[in-house]
Amino acid sequence: MNRNLYQPINGRITDIIDESPTIKTFVIVPEEKFKFETGQFVELTLPGEGEAPFTPSSSPADTEKMDITIMKAGRMTGLLHECKKGQKVGIRGPYGNGYTVNDFVGKEVYIVGGGVGLAPIRSLFLTLIDRVKDFKSVVCRFGAKTPDDFIYKNTLFGHWQKIDGVDIKLTVDEANGQWKDNVGVVTTILQPTDVDIKNAVAVVCGPPIMMKFATMKLLEFGFAPKDIYLSMEKNMSCGVGKCGHCMIGKFYVCKDGPVFNYEQLKDYPNIWD
Amino acid sequence: METVFISTLKPFLDAVAEQMDLYVPKKANQGPRNTGTQHYVFSRYDPSASTEIEFNNIRACTPVKEFLFPLRELAAVFPESFEPEDIKPFAVFGLKDCDLRSIEILDKVFLEDEFRDPFYVTRREKMFIISSDCFEPGESCFCNAMDGQPYAESGFDLNVSQVKDGFIIEVGSQKGKNFIDKNAQLFTDIPEDALADRDKIRTETKKQLEQNNAELKFAAPIRDMMSETQDTDIYDEEAKTCVECQACTRVCPTCHCFYLYDTKQKDYFGKMKMWDSCMRMSYAQVAGGANPRKVLGDRLKHRLMHKFAYFVDRYGVNMCVGCGRCVDAEAGAIDIRKVLKKLSEELKGKGTKEAKVAK
Repeated sequence: MNRNLYQPINGRITDIIDESPTIKTFVIVPEEKFKFETGQFVELTLPGEGEAPFTPSSSPADTEKMDITIMKAGRMTGLLHECKKGQKVGIRGPYGNGYTVNDFVGKEVYIVGGGVGLAPIRSLFLTLIDRVKDFKSVVCRFGAKTPDDFIYKNTLFGHWQKIDGVDIKLTVDEANGQWKDNVGVVTTILQPTDVDIKNAVAVVCGPPIMMKFATMKLLEFGFAPKDIYLSMEKNMSCGVGKCGHCMIGKFYVCKDGPVFNYEQLKDYPNIWD
Repeated sequence: METVFISTLKPFLDAVAEQMDLYVPKKANQGPRNTGTQHYVFSRYDPSASTEIEFNNIRACTPVKEFLFPLRELAAVFPESFEPEDIKPFAVFGLKDCDLRSIEILDKVFLEDEFRDPFYVTRREKMFIISSDCFEPGESCFCNAMDGQPYAESGFDLNVSQVKDGFIIEVGSQKGKNFIDKNAQLFTDIPEDALADRDKIRTETKKQLEQNNAELKFAAPIRDMMSETQDTDIYDEEAKTCVECQACTRVCPTCHCFYLYDTKQKDYFGKMKMWDSCMRMSYAQVAGGANPRKVLGDRLKHRLMHKFAYFVDRYGVNMCVGCGRCVDAEAGAIDIRKVLKKLSEELKGKGTKEAKVAK
């Protein structure tokens, strides 16, 4: 008999980091061995309250604990934001297909992220820089509403920018006094010359509207739909391709995604809504 | 396959009920929409009752999924872990070919290698299936248009066919054979002409169904028809009478959407699994508010695309068995047969238009 797939393993929140006014990172230590691939997601249960899907934002190389970065957006995330260190949680997963990092070897990896979309991207980024020489370059274009809204500020504004082979540019929708970089939505800092498109893959993660316009821009630059990787946000409930909530056409985002290439999805309606 | 004969059902059903919980069809009142279809629901068999049970002419109005995947069940517990409890074997009498095919469809979802649903597995293993032949098909029955037929040839443990002077019981599995062998004294050999009588009834019932659904012919294979009419406004038009009661998805034997939610009990936290409906407004909505199917017509379209296109792409079969339960339960005026027919007409029209342009 296989294990009950609806039964989470137990875990505990051991640390909580305030990332922005609406976003916190929860460090979670599972009681059992837990391994995931970058880009896969987990179902996080607050016992007695609810369950919601999140992609861990930490490196899969860290098998002792995992970070989950959460924006306060609804009832469940609101409750999670009220949690204190020591809170017991449940974890199911990991589920679905993550980023196919081995397919990126030898190429330029062009990462476009916005807002809390930087959470899955951080996991990918940490995975890439662990073996940064395997890639021609890692080029990041990140946006946030205001400088305060950027998450992972310490590393993002600090040592990530100094890594050899990594090129990061940032933008905000609204600047404040100290901001010296670009002002404008993230598509305003995408340039066709950022990477050699013929030998590059693109990764997009962020709010739906940003993903839509970034994808359109990348297509305009000449990216093939199959080279644009999207991390889709849908209402994944069971996580195992049965309950139906997260369907996009014939795909279950939970099982066939959450990472898709645009070629797979381009003919289905309302994928950005 | 092995067949035996019995002149009345009672001794047979009593023998089943001695070994396991047995559910049998019982006549029920007309639904809100009088389509002329006789309704049956399942109830526990009472061996002490002196009358013979109703031999249902068509499928019950409730779906067989209730036995395998109940409306609501406990799926996980905190902080202790939880596995399905062992359950007693149970039997259901009076299932029809459409019911058996709906089980095959649910099996594809819940018995998938990688993620087997342990609650479904437990019930499925303990279920003893006694199907029976249909006669006098209902107004809403259209199994023949969905590759079905009014009698089962596989998927059962035992199948019962009513003929003149009694019932033919056919064995369909080892479990079924074991039962017949154990109760051999109840049965006799098949009387002369009984099998011929059964075949005659089967052929007539099939003919009746074909006559009832003579109009239900499509311009192309349904899978192709679905993708070629994607830009239609038929779904929006059809959805106008929908009152979002979700009855169609509840009674559908193949619809299997569910959601998980967490509850606080006195001494534990429970995770519940409960039927859900893709016709519900916030079904696919995420916390940020995004919702790919805010429009009712889009939800109807998704439901039908799932049945006739997406499920076919994943599992190779339609997710509709033509039982017509959704037609009987419909509170508005949506009739899945008419929607398919309209799509077919639109496709035909398109063909003519394109042919004209080509000229």
